[in-house]
Amino acid sequence: MRNMAEREEMLDEDTQKGQFMTFQVGKEYFGISISYVNEIIMMQPITMVPEVKDYIKGLINLRGKIIPVIDVRVRFKMDPVEYTDRTCIIVINVKTTVIGLIVEKIAEVDTIQDSDIVPPPSLGRKDSEQNKYVYGLARTGDTMKLLIDPEKLIKDEDLEVMEEMQDEEE
Amino acid sequence: MAEEFNVDGMLDMFLYESGQLLEKLEGIILEKQDADCFDDTDINEIFRIMHTIKGSSGIMMYENITRVTHKLEDVFYYLRESHPENVPHLELVEKVLAVSDFVNGEMDKIKDGEKPDGDEKEILEDLDNFLKRIKGEIKEQGIRLPRENKHEEPTQFYIAPVASEDSKFYRIVIHYRNDTQMSNIRAYSATYALKEIAEDLLYTPEDIISNEESANVILSEGFYMLLQTKSEKDEILSLIDSAEANQIDIERITAEQFIKGFGGVTQPEEQKIVIDLGEEPPAEKKEKAVTPGEYVIKAKETGKGKTLAKNQPKQQSIISINVEKMDMLMDLIGEIVIAEAVVLQNPDLNGMDLPNFQKASAQLAKITTELQEVIMSMRMMPLTNVFQKMRRIVFDVSKKLGKEIELEVIGETTEVDKNIIEHISDPLMHLVRNSVDHGIETDAEERVALGKSAKGKITLEARNEGGKVYIIVRDDGKGLDKQKLFEKARDKGLLGSKDKEITDYTDNEIYRFITLPGFSTKEQVTEYSGRGVGMDVVVKNIQSIGGRLEISSELNKGSEMRLVIPLTLAIINGIVIQAGNSSFVIETSSVKEFVRLTENSIVTEPDGEEYIILRGEAYPFLRLSRRFELDNALEKVDDGIVMVLEHENTQVCVLIDKLVREQEIVVKPIPSYVKKVKGISGCTQLGDGSIALILDIGGLIHDEERG
Repeated sequence: MRNMAEREEMLDEDTQKGQFMTFQVGKEYFGISISYVNEIIMMQPITMVPEVKDYIKGLINLRGKIIPVIDVRVRFKMDPVEYTDRTCIIVINVKTTVIGLIVEKIAEVDTIQDSDIVPPPSLGRKDSEQNKYVYGLARTGDTMKLLIDPEKLIKDEDLEVMEEMQDEEE
Repeated sequence: MAEEFNVDGMLDMFLYESGQLLEKLEGIILEKQDADCFDDTDINEIFRIMHTIKGSSGIMMYENITRVTHKLEDVFYYLRESHPENVPHLELVEKVLAVSDFVNGEMDKIKDGEKPDGDEKEILEDLDNFLKRIKGEIKEQGIRLPRENKHEEPTQFYIAPVASEDSKFYRIVIHYRNDTQMSNIRAYSATYALKEIAEDLLYTPEDIISNEESANVILSEGFYMLLQTKSEKDEILSLIDSAEANQIDIERITAEQFIKGFGGVTQPEEQKIVIDLGEEPPAEKKEKAVTPGEYVIKAKETGKGKTLAKNQPKQQSIISINVEKMDMLMDLIGEIVIAEAVVLQNPDLNGMDLPNFQKASAQLAKITTELQEVIMSMRMMPLTNVFQKMRRIVFDVSKKLGKEIELEVIGETTEVDKNIIEHISDPLMHLVRNSVDHGIETDAEERVALGKSAKGKITLEARNEGGKVYIIVRDDGKGLDKQKLFEKARDKGLLGSKDKEITDYTDNEIYRFITLPGFSTKEQVTEYSGRGVGMDVVVKNIQSIGGRLEISSELNKGSEMRLVIPLTLAIINGIVIQAGNSSFVIETSSVKEFVRLTENSIVTEPDGEEYIILRGEAYPFLRLSRRFELDNALEKVDDGIVMVLEHENTQVCVLIDKLVREQEIVVKPIPSYVKKVKGISGCTQLGDGSIALILDIGGLIHDEERG
């Protein structure tokens, strides 16, 4: 029984391996491993929550489940833009934390081989810790895509503080 | 052999069942702790509990548990059969509690994945001595011991032998391979498996669990069972674990043969199934078939043990569910409610005349409401278990401290949300301990001198009142000494300024001192109180579930601690309001009133803080829109509404834009990714699927005070 499940899981992972959900923020394209992606939904009415980081836009109601959404553009320290009908929310699941990412435009699902991924050049960027969530660059066709580690994207000092708070509560 | 079972499932079942039984056991014991002796019902019940735990722990091969419970079973067997007088009741109570503690301890180890390695010898010896002693006393009185009946009762699986027309009777013989280890346990597991389908079941040798010798008997002679059931042979066969069995014979017998017991089975009736499982020729088999009566214990009455079965159905009607699944169900029902609103309030329907649709939708609405009610009621649990723990604490602590205390329990069936029960157990335990330890006078004469009975009395009461549950711990002891409390608080520097006099405080404020952090006096630190859990922690715990603690007391008459807690955390009655573009919900019970005010009634301090003068009293004033930096909110006080909110006797006035409606709301936590916001305690979905944040008045006020 267990072996079966494991095998299925492995299969599942195999088919997802190298698949990336790509989206546009600003003029750059970004990619996120498809294994994190739960679904993509249209822009929803967002309930703002006071006194939180500016990139946390608030809460949405995903079929009865209340999840937070963050604006990736703001998270990348770009100026916010108006949401359009192309604006989408990518719902990702990172270690049981379900979070929505607001992106300007969904591009496509790309298959990127490991060999096509190069680490971002570190020249003169040692100080720019803010970019650590980009873990690789990938060339597909004629565009460069920045691959994002969602764990690092959502996990910053806030989350750590959060976790501590939760631990205390428990 | 354990690996042949589905160990996980069985382990869970074992832990769950035994846990339940032990709780029941403690319940019986503590209820009768003050009585002179146990009555027959109790003795039977305790006996049955011990027997069941013995049996199942035997299957799970937790030998120390088996031995201890077996020994206690012996004691109660003796009590039941001989009705000895002069049994030191209190000592017996302690013995039972010791066994219960031991088994509980071992089960905790098992739960943590450890081996139950507790040493049972001490308890065994203790029980042995106890048993010998009560027996010894009786011998002097010349009462004969019914030793020969010793193993008659336990062989029955307590299933009432209700013979119905389609009941069939079987004689089952299992022969195990000669090298089988612990064939007695195997045999027992076979009886255990058959128990599910059995209407009545007898087996021999009978003492398979308690007597290790029986393993040899089973190996050499085979294991015999008489079974009354509605099931067919195939089913019986499939239930019996045949892994180590050489041969399993199942033959149909008549009811008369069945009633006669093993001795009566002489000739098999028409059908006979012999399943030969081994290569070895069944040489011994014949020999056995002719001499089954040899090792049968006589005087088998199939009807015996019937009365013991009365508690079976009760347990079977309860199933335990993983809380996660309950939460999932709850979420799903929440979704249904939202989906229903989306359908029924769909703008496409506007202006249409649809009588049939209206009817159908009314029906749907009714069902969803009912669904919600059912799921809520599923989360409700009676306080019985919590109160039972308190009985135990009163018993333990009062004995250790040498105080005679009577505990009265009122309203223990009051139902409260499971989440809340988990949170009140510890605070309540602390309050009860305090009452026993500090409340009731140590010296009984002191009590008598004050005109009270020598025996102290603690009352534990729960009642449901106005959507809140009151849990009250009342003692008739010393009461709180205001002067002493005041001095203590002053000496500890908890008063802020040293100049204040006791007259500056109301009684209530003085009693509240004991809930301040750091207010614990040396004399309070005993084994039972002052384990680092002060009253401040109690209050904090209670507040975390939206409850509060009220204290009242009268010197030398006693004190009363009242926990006022919400019925449920999951659903509150709330008022939906709007400020700016955002919706908020405020718990209805914290809203004192709504007023319309003009700009004139607001007083602004130079630093920008605002107050409101309302009927001659000044209240802090807060604009929700400014506090939370909301967009598009009203700025003028004249246009909005001012709510007067109260939290623990502190009031605050809050300006909002408009009231929407009052409704029941399902509380959901803010996702943990969003950090905690002061003044917001959770969120909820409104009927249209949008999200509203729930205001935490305590947080707002606290913030206001600091800010």
